[in-house]
Amino acid sequence: MAFRDVNARRHIGLQQLSALASTGRTFLGPMKSHKFIVDEITNQSTLICSAVRLIESLDLTSAVGQLLNETIQAQNKEFKTGMSSLLFLVGAWSNAVVECLQQNVPVPAIVSVMSEGLNSCCERVQCLQIPIHDVKKELCSSRVRPKAFESKTGQVERHDLKNSWNLLCFQTDISATEEVIPINSCSHQGHDCNFNKFLVSPLAGFGSVASVVKAVGDKSSPALSGSGVTAASCIAQKLTHSRHFSTLGKSPFASQQGNFQGHLSGPAADLCGLGCLAVALSHGNQTSVKLLQSIAAYQQGRAECSGSSQVNIAEIVTCCVLGLPESYSCVSPGFVTLVSPEQATVIKHFADKPLRILLVDGDLTEEYRHLGFNRPPNVRTILERPTPQGGGAGDVWLSRMSDVLMSFEVNLVLVKGNVCKNFMERCIASRILVIGCVARSVLCAFGSATGAQAVTYLSQLSTVCVGNGAWAELWHTGDGRAVDLGELLPARISAGGITLLTAVLTAALPSKAQLLEDHFWTLLYRLHHALKDGKVFPGGGAVELLCLSHIQALAEQPERPGNAKELPSPWLAECKSIVLQALASGWKRYLCVLLCNTATASSELEAGAAVDHHLQKAAACGSPSAYILEEFRRGGVLRGGSEPFPGRVTDLKVCDNVEAKTEAWRRALDLVLLVLQTDAEIITGPRRNQILNSPVSNEFMFL
Amino acid sequence: MSRLEAKKPPLFTSKPLTRDAVSQSLSLLSGVLKSSYGPAGRLKQLHNGAGGCVCATSQSSALLGHLSISQPVLRVLTASVLNHMSRFSDCGLFTAILCCGFIENFRSLNVAPFTVIQISKHLLSLCMNHLKSEACGCRVSVDFSSLETLVCLVRSILTSKPACMLNKTEVDHLTSLVLKAFIFTVPCHIETNAVLGKCVVIPVKGRRVVDSAVLPGLLIETPEIQLGKPLAVKRTGSNVIKIALFSVSMSGDSSNPEEGTIAVHHGVSLEASELNQLLNVGQQLVKHEVGLVLCQKVMHPSLKQYLKENGVMAVDRAGLSLMEPLRRVTGSQPIASIHSLSPGCYGSLKDLCIESFASKHFLHLIPEDTVICSLILCNRSETAWDELKRVCETAEHVLQLTVKEPLALLGGGCTETHLASYIRHKSSSLPASTFKDLGCSQTQYQLVADGFCRSLETVARSLSHDGEEVLTDVVYGHCWFVPSGSPCASRWSDLVSKCSCGVNDNTEDLSWSFLQGQSSSPILQGCPKEPSVKVADLRTLDCFAAKCSGLQVALETANLILDLSYIIEDQN
Repeated sequence: MAFRDVNARRHIGLQQLSALASTGRTFLGPMKSHKFIVDEITNQSTLICSAVRLIESLDLTSAVGQLLNETIQAQNKEFKTGMSSLLFLVGAWSNAVVECLQQNVPVPAIVSVMSEGLNSCCERVQCLQIPIHDVKKELCSSRVRPKAFESKTGQVERHDLKNSWNLLCFQTDISATEEVIPINSCSHQGHDCNFNKFLVSPLAGFGSVASVVKAVGDKSSPALSGSGVTAASCIAQKLTHSRHFSTLGKSPFASQQGNFQGHLSGPAADLCGLGCLAVALSHGNQTSVKLLQSIAAYQQGRAECSGSSQVNIAEIVTCCVLGLPESYSCVSPGFVTLVSPEQATVIKHFADKPLRILLVDGDLTEEYRHLGFNRPPNVRTILERPTPQGGGAGDVWLSRMSDVLMSFEVNLVLVKGNVCKNFMERCIASRILVIGCVARSVLCAFGSATGAQAVTYLSQLSTVCVGNGAWAELWHTGDGRAVDLGELLPARISAGGITLLTAVLTAALPSKAQLLEDHFWTLLYRLHHALKDGKVFPGGGAVELLCLSHIQALAEQPERPGNAKELPSPWLAECKSIVLQALASGWKRYLCVLLCNTATASSELEAGAAVDHHLQKAAACGSPSAYILEEFRRGGVLRGGSEPFPGRVTDLKVCDNVEAKTEAWRRALDLVLLVLQTDAEIITGPRRNQILNSPVSNEFMFL
Repeated sequence: MSRLEAKKPPLFTSKPLTRDAVSQSLSLLSGVLKSSYGPAGRLKQLHNGAGGCVCATSQSSALLGHLSISQPVLRVLTASVLNHMSRFSDCGLFTAILCCGFIENFRSLNVAPFTVIQISKHLLSLCMNHLKSEACGCRVSVDFSSLETLVCLVRSILTSKPACMLNKTEVDHLTSLVLKAFIFTVPCHIETNAVLGKCVVIPVKGRRVVDSAVLPGLLIETPEIQLGKPLAVKRTGSNVIKIALFSVSMSGDSSNPEEGTIAVHHGVSLEASELNQLLNVGQQLVKHEVGLVLCQKVMHPSLKQYLKENGVMAVDRAGLSLMEPLRRVTGSQPIASIHSLSPGCYGSLKDLCIESFASKHFLHLIPEDTVICSLILCNRSETAWDELKRVCETAEHVLQLTVKEPLALLGGGCTETHLASYIRHKSSSLPASTFKDLGCSQTQYQLVADGFCRSLETVARSLSHDGEEVLTDVVYGHCWFVPSGSPCASRWSDLVSKCSCGVNDNTEDLSWSFLQGQSSSPILQGCPKEPSVKVADLRTLDCFAAKCSGLQVALETANLILDLSYIIEDQN
């Protein structure tokens, strides 16, 4: 066992944390800059645009890295939003805590004051919450109301959207790649320079400074980050004209004039409330807003029967179709998936025939056995005479299974696991459509819509297991444009009364497919949680501003003589004020970077001044929360003095989830405090000799 | 081909405690443990250095369980502590630090190990007699008719491990849940020998701590269950649900781990015959009006389908750890064979329903009258959840120990300093016959007693991690902490307001002095006094049984280690 003191100098753990967190700074706020993650060994690169994908792509072998990953993943699993704020605050608060340590504030004081301070803030900001039923009034009362959301038919026209969105979204469609992060970095300075020149040169040409962040594999070289953030705001505008980073095909404003038309034939309910909410929660991501509105329309129609107002996430799946412009994204009832051309021929043969459907919740191969079945190792089969050529055991299985399907007249088989290739071919020959790797939720939806009961083996099949009334067709875009994109074709499988919806995400660029899918789920979860919480926070930094002003008030407030038995200690009071300032500095940095990333301020210095200005105004007003709410109603809290885009803010109000936000704060602070309270790293297991021979062995002690 | 290698001779180490390597390892281990002790203790990140999961903890069994220690001397120590923890769940760090302290203090004495052992055993008996006597000033009796002391006991345990990442509200919430869970495990109708029930911890990770809850009965996670549909369960004539509980695998694989091979003719399927047997079992279950079939292991999908078609619910993969609670909740005998089903082995339940927490769905087994309950435990991160689970289990165990012996010890180091001052007082006033009986001189006795007290005081001092000064008083022998960075003051009473356990305050002059300062601790004029304890003042309490055992284990282990003269290691 090896043992290392992490507190030896200035808390190494906190330094690692802040270095890791600094890589995600540009993901803060609605204007996220994309990043390339480059693997130095395979030279493969991935385009990412969120903190969770960033952390996934980094090589995090250190203990602190693991804990950070665990925290981000937990937030992602629960909320799918708030990870960038979480990552940023982890960094900001670790820096702030290191400063407290340098001023000799005892660790327990930091822990208790910070945790109580955050608690107090979470209570304080409750007064900013806007109930969902007020959202319509609150959000849709703007002077210029986006016409798109008045549309009763659900046909959202691009032009209209454009008016309200283009000013905000000018930046989001530009892949402003301003940081290159090689993973598996061997920390060769030379290599980094190469990357710098090689990949970032288009940006360098515009006078920006790209920052190269190394994957933090070894702790000795904490990640370094240049002035990437300041670059982000000024590059973006110039880059609209860049050939490299502004692909016309995927810019929704540049090329398409055609009406957007989803497969929205469902109920045309008055969606203004939910629509506005979706817009406010989208933070400027309009493709997903459209999809969400369709989903809300479908589900609301059903909810009127069941009486619930929530967006049911379990009944939604996504399907990425590459090669179509993003504007073709839409929501289709039923299950849309990609099929091979052979399967497509089967579908064409079906025409409009109602299909008998079978659900299989295992693999469809001869060798497959249910989980927990152990093959007996000591069984020997005796053959009495050799079997004639060609009649292999595999063929027997194939014909037996296809006989089973034929005898029950099954046309469509949805399989949770893999499907044996030979069996697939045989089924296609007998015009049975078999689709593998289908999610559980899809099986469930078809089960309840068609009455089919999932089986594990085909030998279990009985008439009650087979469902009726499914149908299959090739998926078409709204304008009937044929989707023939080479190998795989989208097909839609559905059944009467099915509750399943598929969000078909079309992407012209394969590298953006993942981003689109992430965006979609993020927004869907935001809406889901907003409805679940029953309230939202005003966005755009309003909540953080109130926290900041609240903490500053707490720090200035003299110690309450609450506990008469406690001795007044000037040093403890001083500690408390130092720690509260540290907590506040996290939110202040957050607001400053937010202003910089959204190009409201041109430098962090300017942003800092703007935040201070608002703080003073809030304090002078007497009731900071009233001031902030009023500012929010007037169109946005942290509007820059110069108002670079007049009229923009009045069009848009941004909202955030309540629980996701406060939980992200809490998780970030918990992680920082956990690392702060750690004084040693103990490496267990067989790596002893490796460490003994490594250059860092003198940092370790052995038991 | 196997390679033969000459056998290596065993390695002899004489007088292991005098070796540098041993004492270095011992002081390193002692440092690790001391730095983890108490509510302000520092955490240790345990991981394998290769991207495995990280465990941030300050809990003794997690720490010692993960360490791979090569020194045999330390292995003796950790084995004793882990054994103590398996019996009492609490006071592991106390035991380990005290044991290290005993070894360090006794080793440096110029007294023969045999004499040291004799004297220290006598000292231990003095301590134990004092702790068991009514006059003991560091224990309080636990009143089960009111919640105050119980709350204090549970809260002390929950707050002792900072890696749980709880704030005040969360501590309050969990304290009440743990107490509620404990009350569920106490049988309502006491027969001749009452047996306490069990609280089963159900993990829900990634959620807020305040989402945790306690339910009577058992929850079994059933991911396959369909929500929204009402549960249709078959009931018997007396309106209960009949339960069959299988501990044998029903997956249909011929489970014959014996050696040898089975020869099967082509065309004969073992699988099919196994499945037929299972379906036979299914038929019998249906015939016996069973409403719910539970299986520890896997059930064959065909059997599940058969049962479902006949209106019988089937839940498999319950897991070994749930078997005992399941047996107690349903009152059924686990069926270990699929060949014989006796009607007497079935159990029953009052009701079944579906509960959902976070995104997980559970089948809630509701019995008529139960001592089994489920604690749905939530915490935000995996690491913090693991620590919280250990802590909650400790708290449940401590409450059970306290029911048997309704006493608690003052926490915060006050018990240790009180015992030390009691021993200092007592050892100076022993009759000469005692020394004669022990075969030692009075000086030797004084030396060992001093080492004994220093070891106890070391434990109290280990609670200070941020430069707080540790004081003791001469009246009650309690432990007092002066916060670091306090201004200079002429009187101690200006710097300390309350003793660490909260029982005493600074209103009377208690002549404080440094604990283990340059001059040795002052000897009390009389026996340390028993303060009047107001329950509302209590800040921390420790488990009586666990601490008493810890004291004994620490001393006996230290004596065992001091007595080691050779280590013989087989090097093959």
